Amino acid sequence: MDLGISALSYVNSIKNAEFTVEEFISKSLERINQVDEKLHAFLRVNDLVIKNAREIDTKIKSNQNVGKCYGMPISVKDNICIEGSKTTCASKVLENFVAPYTSTVISKLNSEDAIIIGKTNLDEFAMGFSTEFSAYGPSRNPWNTDYVPGGSSGGSGVSVSANECIASLGSDTGGSIRNPASFCSVVGLKPTYGLVSRYGLVSYANSIEQIGPLTKTVEDSAFLLNIISGIDSNDNTTVDNKNQDYLNNIDAGISGKKIGIVTEMTNSEGLSTDVLNATNDAVKTFEKLGANCEQVSLQMIPYTVAAYYTITSTEAGSNLARYDNIRYGYEFDSSGFEFNSYISQARSKLGPEVIRRMILGGFVPSAGHAGKYFLKALKVKSKLIAEINHVFEKFDFLISSTVPIQPFKFGEKIQDPVSLMMVDFNTVTANLTGIPAISVPYKITNGLPIGIQIMANCLEEHSLLQAAYALEKTVDLPKVPV
Amino acid sequence: MTKIGLEIHCQLTKLESKLFCSCKADYREFEPNTNICPVCMGIPGSLPLLNKSAVEKATLIAMALDCKTPGKIAFFRKNYFYPDLPKNFQITQLNAYGNTSIGWEGRILVEDKQIKIRRIQLEEDPGRLIYEGATEKTKLTLVDYNRAGTPLVEIVTDPDFETPHQVREFLNILSDLLENLNVSDPGLEGAMRADANVSIEGGSKVEIKNIGSFHDLEKAVHFEITRQHSLAERKIEIIQETRHWDDRRKITVSARTKEEEAEYRYHLEADIPWVRINDNTKNQLRAQMPESISSKKERYISKYDITPQVAGILASDRYFSELFEKANNETNAKDVANMITTDIMGLLDTREKREISKLEAGHLSDLAECVKSNKITRASAKLALDEIIKNGKPLSQIIEVLDLGHLSDESTLSDIISQVLNEEVKAAEDAKQNPETVNFLVGKVMQKTHGKADPELTLTLLKKNLDIE
Amino acid sequence: MKNLVNEEEISEVAKLMKIDLADHNDHIKRVQKMLEYFDILDNAGVESEEITVQETDLDKLRDDKYNPYDKNLLKFLKSYQGKYVKAPKLN
Ligand SMILES: [Zn+2]
Repeated sequence: MDLGISALSYVNSIKNAEFTVEEFISKSLERINQVDEKLHAFLRVNDLVIKNAREIDTKIKSNQNVGKCYGMPISVKDNICIEGSKTTCASKVLENFVAPYTSTVISKLNSEDAIIIGKTNLDEFAMGFSTEFSAYGPSRNPWNTDYVPGGSSGGSGVSVSANECIASLGSDTGGSIRNPASFCSVVGLKPTYGLVSRYGLVSYANSIEQIGPLTKTVEDSAFLLNIISGIDSNDNTTVDNKNQDYLNNIDAGISGKKIGIVTEMTNSEGLSTDVLNATNDAVKTFEKLGANCEQVSLQMIPYTVAAYYTITSTEAGSNLARYDNIRYGYEFDSSGFEFNSYISQARSKLGPEVIRRMILGGFVPSAGHAGKYFLKALKVKSKLIAEINHVFEKFDFLISSTVPIQPFKFGEKIQDPVSLMMVDFNTVTANLTGIPAISVPYKITNGLPIGIQIMANCLEEHSLLQAAYALEKTVDLPKVPV
Repeated sequence: MTKIGLEIHCQLTKLESKLFCSCKADYREFEPNTNICPVCMGIPGSLPLLNKSAVEKATLIAMALDCKTPGKIAFFRKNYFYPDLPKNFQITQLNAYGNTSIGWEGRILVEDKQIKIRRIQLEEDPGRLIYEGATEKTKLTLVDYNRAGTPLVEIVTDPDFETPHQVREFLNILSDLLENLNVSDPGLEGAMRADANVSIEGGSKVEIKNIGSFHDLEKAVHFEITRQHSLAERKIEIIQETRHWDDRRKITVSARTKEEEAEYRYHLEADIPWVRINDNTKNQLRAQMPESISSKKERYISKYDITPQVAGILASDRYFSELFEKANNETNAKDVANMITTDIMGLLDTREKREISKLEAGHLSDLAECVKSNKITRASAKLALDEIIKNGKPLSQIIEVLDLGHLSDESTLSDIISQVLNEEVKAAEDAKQNPETVNFLVGKVMQKTHGKADPELTLTLLKKNLDIE
Repeated sequence: MKNLVNEEEISEVAKLMKIDLADHNDHIKRVQKMLEYFDILDNAGVESEEITVQETDLDKLRDDKYNPYDKNLLKFLKSYQGKYVKAPKLN
């Protein structure tokens, strides 16, 4: 039994009775037991999975209706709520938080008979891209455990890459799905803002973030997107995608398509030579596939990281204000405390990156400073949207490397806050403009992965996945060493 | 010159559900913390779901106050930490990026003075704090979140009022207007709250908060003007500050002077997209809008020939004007109007009484008919009303049970008249001398017949008996 | 030399955000650096830009229906006393 199979082959194997759900789930649990002590992809493993697997096997044997997932093990980032189980956001302040309800994406997966195998590690409240800011310790890159796996959905990336599960759900606020997908050599898709319900996703920067899949193949991302997308009465920001089938004609190719190579993302300061070479190589590949590639410049790109941090800090400052430890949180007796001093004490359990974002989030939208920071950031965002709309009148896709650099060693970037922010340079544009973007594994250089990012216009996931599929079919990457 | 401005908070009590979730808008009937859900408790991952009718009802208020209304409304977060705010921010509105609140620049006439409405916004009410034990040395705060998320409309006026009386008059007009629009029941406890700002010539603006009722608002404003004048007389500077209304002592007291500087970090609430309200929708809302109180009053006067005073009383009360509209069939309008204003308003003078009343419009038209055709007297009609309100039985049945039918049988009535004349010898003599005093004897007959005697027949028979003209 | 946001200002903001900065002087340095980087926004030339946002239609909003939550949420909350949620005293 190959634990590294894709979701689609898993479904076929189950249908052909090559193995049972229980057999596959047991093997997956064994694998987790074997490797996760080192990799730390999971914060918690679901102890009901064998029972769930047997139930689905029974359904299959008795020819009952079985959901599309046929019991495939899927891991979920620990900022997505499942009723009755812990959702910690990798923070000490939510150490004991048990969600009283289930998020829309999980309900949808459950109704298709997916098995949620466990909750994965992340940077605290999804703020970061290395998992070094997890309050429960970092995850490790399966390609080389001295290196970070990317983040914030680092645990999700690791769990898929290391074959601990078939696929994972992450969330992407500024690259948090695509970055670990690139660093761990898996596919990661950030859907159009509003395509997937955020009901049950613990908010960090709610105006730009989305839930999305991390998978072994592009087809698997299309498969999961089919399940989790669509309008939701529990989320006013969701849009109607008319039940589009993203798997349909996924092999249509990209002959004749116009691709823009984002100039600012190919000549940025921190871009590594290896990553640049890989990007240039991908451009050649696209041309061989019949697409026309051309440089395109977006004037607002140099300001996007500053705008992104200004907006996300402001929203985080507001979204995380509710963690005052009064209605939920950890045990910490309030008697004898005055309100303000109690919550300041309680909130000192927030980790260092979150604390810095809280301060920024108090500063940039304040009456005296909003004009200089927050308002300008919103205007950069608006102008960037206008530029993107304009560019997509001419181009079908935009491409760049997913991250300007390859995975880095633990502790390497954490010291300098500005160079740390620059890691997001290529990914934040899709979040600020709401467009979909996907990271496709493209190369392994020096034993570490490089991913290529493709972006398309809003709600163009169907053609985006076709382009990603075409690129994926041209590469043949080594197997993960763990 | 004295300048007074108001900030009124009005709950949209006629809504079924809260502003952003499906919990009940009227939280009053619940045990503490039983009208709550993940959304109004700000449980991580929950999202606000805007109530469509709340937007519509708030827009009706804006239209009724002659406000401009936007093509798109937006919501903002007002961030501050307080135990009654589950999310530690309040979802409210702000005209920061263009005019996106429910309404702005409206006006209303109060005693021929135009009061400008600066802004109307839709927002959520916080929960309620219940302090343990005495006020000063509390060890902890107890919170009931049932009210959290209740739809609230904030109406902000310019400082156009000059006297507490104008303030009072405005609040009366506003209450009637909100009731007439069927958006709120201003009589419900806590449904209408207000803050005021007061400044006298040459003084700074003082805010008064925490005023529990409209009645107290007038008092608080009055107290504050007097306080500021007495400071001015003694040449003491009036400082800009926030004062609280002390409900027990009926005075305003300075809120702690070292209050944290207001820094609300307003920003857009992205969980609620901007809501387009196109002209078509606005026209539909306008068409649904109930007739205004003033136009209703005019119509009553011109159509039914009712006195302006009675028309005004009827038109300004939604319950009674509805009763009037349903019960009158044009020919009996005057009688119905009088019956409502002279009898029913007294019998149903509180919301509670109206709620349990069994009176229907049909009763009222039947009653007017019976009085008109002399089946029963006006006096009997009042007795019948009392009974109808209690049990709601058909009028015919009530007339029978109470034996209210007109006593117009000549021989029976003659017997009663003889009895009265025997008992009232002196009055009978007086009447013979001075026929105008005969009314006293009519009254006695009425008393004996519990108001059932046909008044005209009684008079005729009495006169005949006493041999007077 | 750029005009750095001073420490006092940052401490005030931390207080506003209910963040206890007592042992976190390192944070102040890092926040200063980040804010300094944000100065780049001054060069974007976006002053006259209009702000664009997601929009929806009134018809798409939730209908006004009362639908009681089916769980006892109070029992799920961390600290309560009787029927009330317990919070620290105010001042
Ligand atoms: Zn609720």
